[in-house]
Amino acid sequence: MRLIRMAVVLAFVVAALPGFAKDKEPQFKSVEAKHFTKAEGVELSPDFTDYLYAELRAELTKAKLFGQVIGEGEVVDAADAPSSIIIDGSITEYKKGSVAKDVLIGFTAGWRSMKVDTTIKRRSDQSVIVSPQIHVRASPRWKDKVLAKQAAKQIVNDLKKSLKEHGDSK
Amino acid sequence: MVSQVRFFYATALLLAVTSACGAVYANDPKPTPENTIHVDLSEAVKPQSFARPLKFFVADVTDRSGNPQPMLVYKPRNGVFLDRTPVEITRQGLTNCLKSAEVLAADRESADFILTVYLFKFGLSDSSGMDFFGKVEFAVVVKNAKTGKSQQVSATGTSIAGAAILKKNIQKNVLEDINKAFGDALRNFLRGEKLRDAVTALDVPAESKPAGTNPAASEKPSGHA
Repeated sequence: MRLIRMAVVLAFVVAALPGFAKDKEPQFKSVEAKHFTKAEGVELSPDFTDYLYAELRAELTKAKLFGQVIGEGEVVDAADAPSSIIIDGSITEYKKGSVAKDVLIGFTAGWRSMKVDTTIKRRSDQSVIVSPQIHVRASPRWKDKVLAKQAAKQIVNDLKKSLKEHGDSK
Repeated sequence: MVSQVRFFYATALLLAVTSACGAVYANDPKPTPENTIHVDLSEAVKPQSFARPLKFFVADVTDRSGNPQPMLVYKPRNGVFLDRTPVEITRQGLTNCLKSAEVLAADRESADFILTVYLFKFGLSDSSGMDFFGKVEFAVVVKNAKTGKSQQVSATGTSIAGAAILKKNIQKNVLEDINKAFGDALRNFLRGEKLRDAVTALDVPAESKPAGTNPAASEKPSGHA
């Protein structure tokens, strides 16, 4: 019985060990998110792109892939440029949806939708690392900014996946 | 008779409830020590270095937000107030950053560049409803003290903080959010390419004054979205 207890305690200690491990060094020194542009016909307020920019920066900070998440147009040391990336994009389509359809039909009918073309490139030579195309949808009963939140999450997830697949780093 | 009495009581009750609700909605939140926050940069932003050592002087900070209550940053739940006006906070933050890097001029005469700040947004902006969206936006007119030529540099800082239910957590998150957004805006200005370009373009010896380059920008900011 005593042996079993000791084994259980030991198992817990071993399981908790990775939690004490030192955080990995970030893959990139810095990342710069830019304000996304809007294609012609996209009816979204200027505040929306500001919010998308802020959400994207918040998600990039959470991802812990980068040493620093810098603001748009900040100066970067030339030595850090090869291990720095830039995220740029354009909102190509936005459909505001229909509350009536959402209420009467349901099953995601009448939902808002937004398509975003994103480009993630290296700062030094402007080579494209990945260019995910994001499509997000949300109920029209929620604020349109929920789409920005979803889009930011998806962009960072795609970036993480791509870096994992390519083993891309400094 | 009974129905008349019932009607009377129901009407009286309705009136009482309506007036109580009216009183609640009519009362704007008032600043108290409990709902006031102190926005201050935890760490001064280090400005970028220029080709030669320069000194800056912060001349004026003007509020152009058009906000009738600039110190009220969050209205629901009895509100959250700033302890100083955004103008004072911005002036102090910018001055501290310049001072910490020893690029702050003691007075207008000893400065290479004079900075005039126009504040457009300071506080919270409309978010998705699931979080707080802090935003600080200003434009700075950078003026060469010798030549009198100037250029406008805009800066924006944003931050996202989680929403909260408890009042003290709301206050904590709002403070954290505004602090971050303010720090971000100062960083965007002091470490931005726009300031570097403006200083590079304006920093010419007073005697040479090359013709046709960098026409003086208007003292007032323009083109703000």
